[in-house]
Amino acid sequence: MNEQQHEYAIVSSGLNREFKVRLKAEGLAASLRNFFAPAHKTVNAVNNLDLQIRPGDIVGFLGPNGAGKTTTLKMLSGLLVPTSGNIDVLGYTPFNRDHAFLKSISLVMGQKQNLWWDLPPVETFAIHRRIYGLTDAEYKSRISELIDMLEIVDCLETQTRKLSLGQRMRCELAVSLLHQPQILFLDEPTIGLDILMQKKIRNFLLDYHRRFKPTILLTSHYMDDVAALAQRVIVIDHGNKVFDGYLNDLTHKMHPEKIMSVLLNNGEFICLPEEGCRLIHHDGHHYRFMLDRKRVPEMAARLYATGNIADLTIEDPPLEDLIGQLFTSDKPTRP
Amino acid sequence: MIAMFTADGKLAVLKAYFKIILTYRGMLLIHGIRLLLLPMVLASAWLSIEKTAQNPYSDSDYLLYYLLVPVIMNLTDSRIVFKFSLAVKDGSLNRDLLKPFPPLMGYLLESLANNAMQLFYLLPFSFVFWLFVRDRIVLSHLEPSLLLYFLAAIVIGGMARLAVSGSIALLSFWIEDVTTLNLILNGGIWALLGGMIVPVATFPDKIRYIAELLPYRYMLSFPIEIFSGRLAPAEIWQGFATALGWIAIFSIIMRLIWKRGLKTYTAYGG
Repeated sequence: MNEQQHEYAIVSSGLNREFKVRLKAEGLAASLRNFFAPAHKTVNAVNNLDLQIRPGDIVGFLGPNGAGKTTTLKMLSGLLVPTSGNIDVLGYTPFNRDHAFLKSISLVMGQKQNLWWDLPPVETFAIHRRIYGLTDAEYKSRISELIDMLEIVDCLETQTRKLSLGQRMRCELAVSLLHQPQILFLDEPTIGLDILMQKKIRNFLLDYHRRFKPTILLTSHYMDDVAALAQRVIVIDHGNKVFDGYLNDLTHKMHPEKIMSVLLNNGEFICLPEEGCRLIHHDGHHYRFMLDRKRVPEMAARLYATGNIADLTIEDPPLEDLIGQLFTSDKPTRP
Repeated sequence: MIAMFTADGKLAVLKAYFKIILTYRGMLLIHGIRLLLLPMVLASAWLSIEKTAQNPYSDSDYLLYYLLVPVIMNLTDSRIVFKFSLAVKDGSLNRDLLKPFPPLMGYLLESLANNAMQLFYLLPFSFVFWLFVRDRIVLSHLEPSLLLYFLAAIVIGGMARLAVSGSIALLSFWIEDVTTLNLILNGGIWALLGGMIVPVATFPDKIRYIAELLPYRYMLSFPIEIFSGRLAPAEIWQGFATALGWIAIFSIIMRLIWKRGLKTYTAYGG
């Protein structure tokens, strides 16, 4: 870190970013009017955003499309200059793009961020090594470790443009981590990948974080990524922060209910609405119902006491539903 | 100096561009043919028309001039306008901005690699061309000092072209498509006042004076004029001073545009 160890790896206060967007109505007449007098509107992509992220934390950054997640990552990594507000990342002002700062971070956006498209990944690694001034020993030990962890030995010498999406993503991660950044910005790292590959990437990130403890700020539309990797989440909508806290707290606040699945040995399950119980699925002896989370222990005890339970599971509602609820008009309680 | 070049990855990036160019051999051949075609057509045209008494160029002068035009065009060529505007549009500039490496250095290194590789195609073609016309070309005036001036003029010409092209390229921060602007400033005017279509020395006095003041002559005609032995040492030094002045001006313009451009850069795409 710059000069001294900071309490926070990332701090922003009153962060704003506006974009001027050109407008044009439909039709030739509108096009002509637009030619002589172009109309614009100003969009606040990020609005008065305050962030404090400790070194070594993994933070999930959630929000619908256009919420301002990627814009924030771009400001924090120095790609975009904020319209107003302050940012301090590892003691640096990102948009000054000091080389020491750039050597301390990595931004992964898609599979074309760091890899040289026309060369095989092994060539990109060698170039990266020179640019980041790694010693022979550092390079050899890190690259062999990353190749093992990411299982990319078979694609090192194939031209990058000819690799599959999953192979490219793993190689992209390898090159992004070669200089062991203290901060890793991940923008949709599993987008477009199949379920197996998503899981592989998630496991790799967890393993990598356990070993090297980088600070990770992650955006993803796959809630499994967020649930598996991040304890803390920051939710933004239309550039405004609407939640900042532990994932469990978000679940509790947004959804005071749990899902209980019951498989009976025989007979029928009877649950009264006034008991805070709402049936959502019924198939033979299998029942799924929503239940006030405070009533879960009591209800489970009652069910087991009947002696008619073949199986019983309790789970939180899917994170996707929960986040979706945050951004729809009928949201129950916005924290 | 060499250690500085190798230490921070410049040599590695230069080598990478060589490797990429070697991957696309066909493209290199097509560019080589493009560079040769027009000068050869122009040489044929100038040789076939009757010269006026005021024209200081003989057939021999035209032959030498157009023998060298493709080589100088290639050595001073820069692809920064096309590459940079694409990088702004598709967001690949983001990659360069996030590296601890001068973001515009890659464009210089790419041009160097491209121009050097192109010589492999150009030089054999030019040599064959020379074999056909060598009896009509006079090279007896060539001496080491002239060759040194010639090489220095090529380097300065390349820097001038890069500075002018770079300034146009950086306007991509505001202008969606800078290629048309590039075609006017760096294509049409360059071809006319740089001496591709007509050697600058054969211009009427007033137009020649304007051409000598502008930067374009120094990107193409000036090194050939030196090689042909048509310039006295004082004229050569005056030419160097004018070209270096333009390089300084456009370097400042580039720096100003870069600083302002980065503030407006929207970093679209991945």
